[in-house]
Amino acid sequence: MGELNYIYAPESPLTEQFRCRVPMKGTRQLFIVNGGVQGTTTPFSISLEKGQVMEDILQVISVRTEGSPLEIAYKNTLHFGEGSQARLLLCSHTFTMDKFVTDEEVEVHLEDRAMVEIVVMQNEHNDAVHNTRFNIKAGADSSLKMSFLTLHGGNIDNKVTVDINGEHADVDLSGLYLVDGHQEVSNTVQMNHNVPNCTSSQLYKGILDNEAKGNFSGIIYVKQDAQKIDAYQANHNLLLSQKAKINTQPQLEIYADDVKCSHGATIGRLDENELFYLRSRGIPVNEARLLQQMAFAYSVLEKISNAELRERMENLVEKRLRGEFSNCRDCSKNCC
Amino acid sequence: MEGNKMLTIKNLHAKVGEKEILRGINLNVKEGEIHAIMGPNGSGKSTLSSVLAGRDTFEVTEGEVVLDGHNLLELSPEERSWAGVFLGFQYPIEIPGVSNVNFMKSAVNEHRKQKGLEPLTSAQFLKLMREKMAIVGMDSSFSSRGVNVGFSGGEKKRNEIFQMAMLEPRLAILDETDSGLDVDALRIVATGVNNLKRPDNAFIVITHYQRLLDYIVPDVVHILYKGQIIKTAGKELALEVEQRGYDWLING
Repeated sequence: MGELNYIYAPESPLTEQFRCRVPMKGTRQLFIVNGGVQGTTTPFSISLEKGQVMEDILQVISVRTEGSPLEIAYKNTLHFGEGSQARLLLCSHTFTMDKFVTDEEVEVHLEDRAMVEIVVMQNEHNDAVHNTRFNIKAGADSSLKMSFLTLHGGNIDNKVTVDINGEHADVDLSGLYLVDGHQEVSNTVQMNHNVPNCTSSQLYKGILDNEAKGNFSGIIYVKQDAQKIDAYQANHNLLLSQKAKINTQPQLEIYADDVKCSHGATIGRLDENELFYLRSRGIPVNEARLLQQMAFAYSVLEKISNAELRERMENLVEKRLRGEFSNCRDCSKNCC
Repeated sequence: MEGNKMLTIKNLHAKVGEKEILRGINLNVKEGEIHAIMGPNGSGKSTLSSVLAGRDTFEVTEGEVVLDGHNLLELSPEERSWAGVFLGFQYPIEIPGVSNVNFMKSAVNEHRKQKGLEPLTSAQFLKLMREKMAIVGMDSSFSSRGVNVGFSGGEKKRNEIFQMAMLEPRLAILDETDSGLDVDALRIVATGVNNLKRPDNAFIVITHYQRLLDYIVPDVVHILYKGQIIKTAGKELALEVEQRGYDWLING
């Protein structure tokens, strides 16, 4: 196995610095403080060589702390060489109540036959603004599975552009956004099918309460003569209050005639018949609503293939839906 | 031997929108009894069961319902469940994403909490669940599936009886549990009910047909028509309805 240019946390000599207090077994951790790898000001970049298989999950934990400019912007690169395999967990947190603005651009390149899974977990405070731009290029026979779990944050804007440039590639994007108070979460996806014989899927789901706002805009673009594309897009939303808002724009732009593309969007409330059924068995109304919301979220959570990580994320989502996060000023304390 | 008084319904009126559906129901159920309620379509049978379980699409305009001293009409659906009411749904609801096991675990542990008991451990719970599933001949693979999702009509009804077995209600109201069942499924459901019958609980069985009452033998049969009980008698009344229909009662 070749050298990786990231810090293997347990061997790090650094002390008195930020550490994740609840590391997961079989996970290597890299800490990013205010955009730079801890102890430096250099943004992280990760590169896997041809054929390299990373057994451990690599967790990149980015935190914003006091004592840095409120607005920062940085670029990262993730490069996955031919036939390489990796699983990443990208977490972002805020440590203090400063009005942070974070602009993050991530170049992601999957060379041919690379297999990559990325979970993005966003947990920031109510005044934090975080914009992410993921520019993804997928080569032939590559596979990318990527989930955005937006648990908490003032204004979070995730834009993903995918260029599928090699045949028989598969890209699976999903997102779960839990939004309440005056928070706003946006997700934009541009899925470009530039070559024939590829598959892609987008499943974004949101639960919005109070006066929260959500936006979803997704495009499946199929280039001329990029035939035999199987592409899917769905955006489903639960509105828990009268004042919560969601704006959803599912779009297809297709210039090939032999493709299978579908899209759909729904906006709804919790089903009253289900709710009554649950309550009639003695489940109190708040617990019943929680069960319904967890059921709604499940189709995104089940995309996380690592069982332990999935279970942790389920617990975080449940805590979040129980309103346990809003009692804390500092959301980074809510990790697992 | 006379059982203790359990449920009293006095002059119950209920409407949906402007339409009055229940127009003065009076009913007394004692411990250990099985009551059957029969009646033509649209007579208010399902409305009565929904009102007793606390469905808020119906507005109760008059009357009272008392179960073991609890004024049911003031209680939420979950509080009624804790007080011992169980409604077996005519059309059980499918809840994708909520597994049967999680559903029943939440329900059983809420009931225990209300009684001041510790929640069951996973092992205790699974043992209980296996026992109760056996009563209705449910395969253990059903436990991990979404509540009623992809279940056949018969499987859904068995699931209702299974849930009843888990919660051990004081008063079970079975709303047309026999509808959509073939004879085999009917027998399994009825056997389940008979196994759960005890001297200290009671059943209200709502049905269109005598057929179910061959298996679950009622102590009392009521005929509901236009929101009122127009006739109450012993089990022979069900047989008479089967042979003669409702006309002689309605026009009599």
